[in-house]
Amino acid sequence: MSKPSRVGAEVVMASGEVALRSTETLAAGPSAESGLLEQCRRGDAQAFARLVAIHEAMVYNLAVRILGDTEEARDLAQDVFLQVYRTLGRFEGRSTLKTWIYRIVVNQCRNRQRWWRRRRRDRSCPIEDLSPADEARVQSGAEPDGPYEAVERRERTRRVQEALLGLSFDHRAILLLREVECLSCEDIGEALGVPEGTVKSRLARAREALRQRLAPLLDGEGRT
Amino acid sequence: MSCRRVVRRLSAYLDGDLPAVEARAVAAHLGGCPECSARWRSLQGAVAKLGALPRLTPSEAVVARVMDRLEVESRGPGLALLFRPFWAARPLILPSLVPAALVLVSVLAGIVALQQDGQRPATVAQRGEQWDRRLPPSGTEGNPLFPSAGVSVPRIRSRGVLPDDALAAMGEDSLFIETVVARDGSVSTITLLDGDSERARPLLDALRSDRFEPPRYRGRPVAVSIYRLISRMEVRAPLT
Repeated sequence: MSKPSRVGAEVVMASGEVALRSTETLAAGPSAESGLLEQCRRGDAQAFARLVAIHEAMVYNLAVRILGDTEEARDLAQDVFLQVYRTLGRFEGRSTLKTWIYRIVVNQCRNRQRWWRRRRRDRSCPIEDLSPADEARVQSGAEPDGPYEAVERRERTRRVQEALLGLSFDHRAILLLREVECLSCEDIGEALGVPEGTVKSRLARAREALRQRLAPLLDGEGRT
Repeated sequence: MSCRRVVRRLSAYLDGDLPAVEARAVAAHLGGCPECSARWRSLQGAVAKLGALPRLTPSEAVVARVMDRLEVESRGPGLALLFRPFWAARPLILPSLVPAALVLVSVLAGIVALQQDGQRPATVAQRGEQWDRRLPPSGTEGNPLFPSAGVSVPRIRSRGVLPDDALAAMGEDSLFIETVVARDGSVSTITLLDGDSERARPLLDALRSDRFEPPRYRGRPVAVSIYRLISRMEVRAPLT
């Protein structure tokens, strides 16, 4: 039995009409998902707005961790959902909608990173430059900590993100899908378009690469 | 099991993917090998650190932006092009170029037409919007120019003899007359545009014998059409 997920979103349509407001409870699961997809395919704008509201946080979080840039991740999240909208008719349902969206996110991140490296370095908004508002959102849900602990936590997060960005794109993507998004190796295979065996061997190499990059941090914590 | 084999299985061991026999062998090795054990703890720590990264949410709802962009795109590819990234915009470039090219052609055609109009002085034939390639060349008696920039108002050289009764016959009417001054300064045609033709006849006959300085345009003599309003007013001495 799948648990219902609570999604809060306020969607203001371009026409000024409020399409979806306040907190809404959506029953997750294959039947609810296929019903929503069917509505979207029929051109129901409110249904598509709900689909976006359900998945936007997950898309944004994965994008910002892969790209390491909040502005880029925000733009990319929009592009991802526009692509979802345009290609919804081609989604055959062989994987879950979430896995299919992950695949789009990873592909868009790969394309954008190539392009971005060449053209837009100067306009980046690195993840370590999170505004106080961002930081507040990051904090929400976590246990409140004192100023010293907050600084320490921020520094720890920065170093992990830095280590992550030091990895190759493939290693970064597979680690985030596995350790942060908690996808199974089978789903990761679907999302990355590679066999499950490749996922496992790539995951082992990516974990080892991350371990080496985080070794100084882990050693420091081990001594204290 | 050797250290090398254990290290190669640590990731699968972490996921619980190893068969039970292999998993027991790895566990036994880790219990007795400080180096592999340290490496195992390090791997666990790195993965845990990654899993503990805080989840970030966008500062403003993505959904509102997405719905705005979808609406903009539904209006047509031209506007949508502005909001799409470079690689996504390519399929829409060609259809957008067609209206853009049409606008460009219209503007260029307008510029060329205006320049041509500026070079050619206005003529009688153009005024009547009866432009025809078979018309006589502009500036001749059949298609005179109007006084304008570059075309001077013809100055009168000698007036025709005006009989005394010609003005008297006019009464207090006003006459509006078009005169075409020929290239030699003579009056080519004279037309009464407004007024009583019977009363105006003696005056028109007199005006036909006027002589003008030949009007010129860019140094060459041209025929020019001029308009005159002639009124007769009897002035009486004030009553005292």
